[in-house]
Amino acid sequence: MSTPILPALRGVLAGASLTRNAGYQLHPALGHRLSAAAFTTTSPLPVKQMPSRPKPPPESEIEEAFLKGSGPGGQKINKTNSAVQLKHIPTGIVVKCQATRSRENNRKTARELLAAKLDELVNGDQSRNAIVGNVKKKRADSAAKKSRRKYRKLEEERKEASEAAEGPEAAEKHTEST
Amino acid sequence: MPRIRPFTFWLARKKISPQAARLLFVCRDLLSAANELRWIREHVNTTPSKIPPNLRLHQLCSKRARGTPLQYLLGTQPFGDLEILCRPGVLIPRPETECYTIELAALIKRNLPKHKPLNVLDICTGTGCIALQLYASLTPHFPTHIQAIDISPVAISLAQRNLSHNIQLGNLISPPPQLTPILTPNTKSTVSFTLLSLFSPALLTTLSSHPPDVIVSNPPYISNKAFSTTTSRSVRNHEPRLALVPEHDDISLELNCQPEDVFYARILHLAKELKGCTRVILFEVADMEQAGRVVRLVERDEVLRGWYDVVEIWRDWPDEEHEDHIVKGEESNVAVAVKGIGEGRVVYLWNSRGGEMEGKR
Repeated sequence: MSTPILPALRGVLAGASLTRNAGYQLHPALGHRLSAAAFTTTSPLPVKQMPSRPKPPPESEIEEAFLKGSGPGGQKINKTNSAVQLKHIPTGIVVKCQATRSRENNRKTARELLAAKLDELVNGDQSRNAIVGNVKKKRADSAAKKSRRKYRKLEEERKEASEAAEGPEAAEKHTEST
Repeated sequence: MPRIRPFTFWLARKKISPQAARLLFVCRDLLSAANELRWIREHVNTTPSKIPPNLRLHQLCSKRARGTPLQYLLGTQPFGDLEILCRPGVLIPRPETECYTIELAALIKRNLPKHKPLNVLDICTGTGCIALQLYASLTPHFPTHIQAIDISPVAISLAQRNLSHNIQLGNLISPPPQLTPILTPNTKSTVSFTLLSLFSPALLTTLSSHPPDVIVSNPPYISNKAFSTTTSRSVRNHEPRLALVPEHDDISLELNCQPEDVFYARILHLAKELKGCTRVILFEVADMEQAGRVVRLVERDEVLRGWYDVVEIWRDWPDEEHEDHIVKGEESNVAVAVKGIGEGRVVYLWNSRGGEMEGKR
């Protein structure tokens, strides 16, 4: 009897774990209620998906420059500079990447950076960077809130404990004095 | 070389680190000093060593400040999809080489018949970077047989280590074990490194049984004068002279060319002996002047001129499509396409008709 329900349950649990990954913390009690709800409804929880990574603009719109000095090259000199600079011609946006020693790697990263910047320019608040940033901020905020709450509670407990420790002592003193 | 301002040293010391100020002696500008320091730090933090990390960083920066190439200190250099090991005694792969190798692989893919065995000969392979990158990019499209030769035993052993290193990293598919260094036509791709001089008569006999479809070479090409003037100190003091300056004056007299062009003349002679079976020849050269001289070496020979109907000069970054020029050869009055931006770097010969051999068949 329980076997046909299992897949639906699993779907719900997977959904819950996905939303958790996306930054929405589910209260354990709520999770329990949701899994209970799965016995009546089969539709899984809507999963909050991040927008996909923006595609870099076509090569014809990009001006690429390798930041290398003029003068002899090849065997005569051993340059370690692998910086790549891209300029998006229609908008004039310039990005630069020198993260790794590999020029090919830097070219790829620079294109991703440029795509993200263009996405921000076009979509504003709805761009991938803004949405991902928001989610990250929410997550960080809730973590900070949690830790604040935890330490406040600990502090209170400590205070209570010390008061409780002082209490009997005071009582003892009181009895001694009498 | 412009003087570095004391203010730049101050900036490096205060804003980055005292180590960066020392690197400034070789890096010459703040940005690349900061980058190199970052890469040295990453290397120190990611590789195990008995020496404490701070001391190791200090030692590496001292060596770098005295001119040792960064690649010898870190032990590697990225090259296309590969990670090439670098050791003193073998020339470090240059970014220009990386760029034209990728371009060449793309051209071969586009122009040569698919699924037919492809023989590639890499002359003066050094670290094996060109051979291995071509192997990596061509194997999915052709049964590729790459033979690379070098005169230096250190280079050959390093090239072999580079092959196994990149197989270990998962950048290359392991070729089947080879018993003979001779190019053998079968369906599986192979790559082999052989200790052999370009000037030895044994080379031709090895090649004539299975002539290469592609010859690529980054030979020593710096003249004695350029070595002592325009070559940077770090290269002069730390990289092998054998890989930089050709010393075959007697042969250059025999082949009737400048001493620094002797490798090109010899390879062209070889191509002629192979009866035009070679569809593509690519040479790395020092500058536009030398590129012009190599083009003239081809043009002065009637047979070679007939076979290689497409002659191009590529600049440092041939993938930059927007700048295409035409220059006229001085004596032969031939038009040569020049593509890319930067300094003249490559002479590219292409036999578009498929060679004398196929014509005769």
